[in-house]
Amino acid sequence: MTGSKLVFMRRALLLLFPALSYLTSLGQSSELAPVTRTYAIKNARIVQAPGRIIDNGVLVIKNGIITAVGKNIEIPAEARIIKADTMYVYAGFIDGLSHTGVPKPKEEENKVKDPGNPPNDIAGIEPQRDVRNMLDPNDKSVDEMRRLGFAVSHVVPHGRMLPGQGAIILHAGESPDAMVYKQQASLFSQLTGAPGIYPNTVIGVMAKYRELYRQAEQAKAYKARYIQDATGMERPSSDRVLEAFYPVIDKQIPVVFKAEDVLSIQRVIDLKSQLGFNLMLAEIKQGWDISEKLKNSGAKLFLSLDLPEMKEEKSMPDTTKTTDKNVELKADKDPEKQRLQARKDETIKKHYQQPALLQSQGVEFGFSTFEAKPRDIKGNLSKLIENGLSEDAALSALTTTPARLLGLSSTMGTLDIGKIANLVITDKSYFDKESKVKYVFVDGKIFEYKDEPVPKKNGETVRVTGKWTYNTETPQGVHTGDIVINGEEGDYSGTISSTISGDTNDLSNISVDGDQLSFSFTVVIEGNAVLVEVIVTVEEGSFEGTMTAGDYGSYPIEGERSPEK
Amino acid sequence: MKEYIAIVLLLLFSQAVQSQQKGTVLIKNGTVLTITKGTMEATDVLIKDGVISKIGKGLSTPKGAQTIDATGMYVMPGIIDAHSHIALDAVNEATSPVTAEVWTGDAINPLDVSIYRALAGGVTISHALHGSANAIGGQSETIKHRYGTVDPDALRMKEAPRTIKFALGENPTRVHGGGNGIVPRTRMGVEAVFRSSFSEARQYMKAWDEYNAGKSKKGYKGTAPQYDLRLETLADILKGDIIVHCHSYRADEIYMLMQVCKDFGIKKLVFQHVNEGFKVAPELAEFGAMASVFSDWWAYKFEVYYSTAYNATILHKNGVVTSINSDSGELIRHLYHEAAKTQKYGGLSDNDALSMITINPAKQLGIESRVGSIEEGKDGDIAIFKNHPLSIYTIPMMTIVDGVVEFDRENDPDDMRIYVDPKETIDVTLHGTGHAGDRCMQDAEFLFHE
Repeated sequence: MTGSKLVFMRRALLLLFPALSYLTSLGQSSELAPVTRTYAIKNARIVQAPGRIIDNGVLVIKNGIITAVGKNIEIPAEARIIKADTMYVYAGFIDGLSHTGVPKPKEEENKVKDPGNPPNDIAGIEPQRDVRNMLDPNDKSVDEMRRLGFAVSHVVPHGRMLPGQGAIILHAGESPDAMVYKQQASLFSQLTGAPGIYPNTVIGVMAKYRELYRQAEQAKAYKARYIQDATGMERPSSDRVLEAFYPVIDKQIPVVFKAEDVLSIQRVIDLKSQLGFNLMLAEIKQGWDISEKLKNSGAKLFLSLDLPEMKEEKSMPDTTKTTDKNVELKADKDPEKQRLQARKDETIKKHYQQPALLQSQGVEFGFSTFEAKPRDIKGNLSKLIENGLSEDAALSALTTTPARLLGLSSTMGTLDIGKIANLVITDKSYFDKESKVKYVFVDGKIFEYKDEPVPKKNGETVRVTGKWTYNTETPQGVHTGDIVINGEEGDYSGTISSTISGDTNDLSNISVDGDQLSFSFTVVIEGNAVLVEVIVTVEEGSFEGTMTAGDYGSYPIEGERSPEK
Repeated sequence: MKEYIAIVLLLLFSQAVQSQQKGTVLIKNGTVLTITKGTMEATDVLIKDGVISKIGKGLSTPKGAQTIDATGMYVMPGIIDAHSHIALDAVNEATSPVTAEVWTGDAINPLDVSIYRALAGGVTISHALHGSANAIGGQSETIKHRYGTVDPDALRMKEAPRTIKFALGENPTRVHGGGNGIVPRTRMGVEAVFRSSFSEARQYMKAWDEYNAGKSKKGYKGTAPQYDLRLETLADILKGDIIVHCHSYRADEIYMLMQVCKDFGIKKLVFQHVNEGFKVAPELAEFGAMASVFSDWWAYKFEVYYSTAYNATILHKNGVVTSINSDSGELIRHLYHEAAKTQKYGGLSDNDALSMITINPAKQLGIESRVGSIEEGKDGDIAIFKNHPLSIYTIPMMTIVDGVVEFDRENDPDDMRIYVDPKETIDVTLHGTGHAGDRCMQDAEFLFHE
């Protein structure tokens, strides 16, 4: 069966058995779910909120709501009983910002006549877009986040400077509307320019942002005047881009800005103080030196769970594959190299110590998972605790604090009567490295996790042969094309094509190490041969990583396996 | 070893969290090159809370102040670079021939180790210019080299007037005409861009004036023009609120821009590079335009072939306020050598040669009342040299900004980066910086098609 036919068949099945497909898409239970919407979780250690614990407690859920929680609770006859002896129950986690449930759209090639005056959508200026129109309940990111205990996400569209409006979604529901808890929750913004067109750089983006905001204020004021006394006045023109700012100007919704590094964060705080909008700062990675500034900004803060890789302390000498062991060993003895490595390690540690530091300075924060790989999130949370964050503080940042920052406290964030039944149940304390998530309830719906995704065995290499499509964004625009790899381990060959140049180049130095694929090829830029080096991580038919083109810089590259013919 | 690293880190980070500091320091017994008030032997300079409070002999040390023994050394004002692109995360918004609304002040990068390297050459202030890809580029920022902070705002020199970058000749015509097939393709086109931009700004100002005059009248039905940040900025140039710094090489285009400025009443004009400035030196002097030049760098593209190392001297002798700049993260470390070249090519006096990297660039940036010479009441920005700064044997020993020692040769750690990249590969080889460190066309390379 060809790929397209398969898809067609699956679609047909989906149409025929929507309910069944819902179950199979959860992929953890072959038996039919019981018909009740009442559940009782028994004999569990119930962590109602950070520091509020009931040992051997019972929690009852009815019609999506927590109806009873405590010690001596009568269990309703119709309840499905979850035996949770020695298990831990927490409020479902709340993710401060991500693209969960929002598939990444295909990048399109856009030829613009005058790069100084591009159409708004190509320039990345689409604040009028609503993320609800982009939600896909079956996107794998929903299940990946739910598996980790996240019941709720603040989600936003993909894009550049002004991708659109965010929403608060529940990680359950069969249609986009069924998932949405709160629409138009925020106006999403980034300091991201458009490749090759205005605004292209951070200075262009900031200037454009100021201009749009002031134009919106002006247009809004004029409209108010017009409504008062329209006769004889020029009709205000309708402008969906400017109108998207009106609720922000009225302080009805915040601007949520993604700002990772210490400089971007301060640039965004500058914009806020100049323009005066309510600000949410998300995906913060480097805030340790500016805690006072963060506190004084009045912004609501979400720290990134995407952390740089921290090498585990090994007692054994590192036996990485090297072409020349002696050179490697000599270099490691080089005191200068040791000092540089020590500084690098210190910097990495600062990322892990940041939540504990901010906590000690009285800075309130939740977490965001925007750029974090789902498989790293749980381990990263454990490492944050190893680096000084208390479990209670971590739990607050996953539950009560984001609930408050996102205005959800009346219905979410704790295990109290009347709250929405968002729960995560683990066999040990969640923050224990060995703990496993057993059940997650979202909106009163049960999700049971029996089989862990099997981790890759050490030393096993992924299959890289075949045809892949890739795309990468450089200042020239978006490059797409095919990568074809043939041969077998130790003897690979391949080619890469580019739709921009129309060239196909041979790959060299193709090597696979575990799930890492690396190769290089040569292109001619401005008459010079430039070696382009690519390192990507391959995962289930897709890859992502970086492409480095000599002095021309490094760019993210991602791709997926083409369907086999 | 580990402990040592930890201590250094602590020092670094305790520094990083402090923003703008003002120091108190007494520099004793040096040869003070004041630039504006002659040279004073065996003289003390006292900086109090960041400001030079006293210059004289045998000054007493205020309580708790640091003392620097400058016996046998030369004490000069901090060097000022009127053309630089260090400490910037973005240099060109190269997508349109006119981008007056953008501002390099939004892209200040206080973590750039180039700042420390500049300090190591005695440079205390640089003009963080927008690049030269566009006819009307962006507004720029004058920065003080207060290294060791993560706060971009701490580097901004608040007293400095606004400046903007213009560009003539091959850069805008290659980027926009050649790269995108739009105006300007030729030097005529560049002039047309200026004239149409300023004409539009005039109309914009007029429309706002009419609206502002009418809006208070009862029952007024008029409409304001739509707010436009680009035209707002151009209007501010016409009002004289912004100093124009223009990238230029050829005499004809230099003369052209002066004519355009005369027609639109723009008076504050500084030409950058100005390789053919010597041909129109009297005209520059008559207009009151200033010039910021390379000492002896040319022939790196076609329009820069007709040049001479005597350019700075000729301009200076014709009464043009002239400075010598770097436009490079490498040259910025030895501007004192660049200034000394005016003594080989033109025989300038010590004082005139040093003016080219101190008081003259200060005038071009509109900050001469604060910096550029050693005078009581001016900022405590000082560079201390072993041997005369114009000698080939000179060594920069210490650089002070606002009374804070920012560089000290005796105490100069290897790794002065404030942040390191957690993803960096530790590679102890040097990487090439490409075009000799020149960043004039950064962010615009993608527009050059073969």
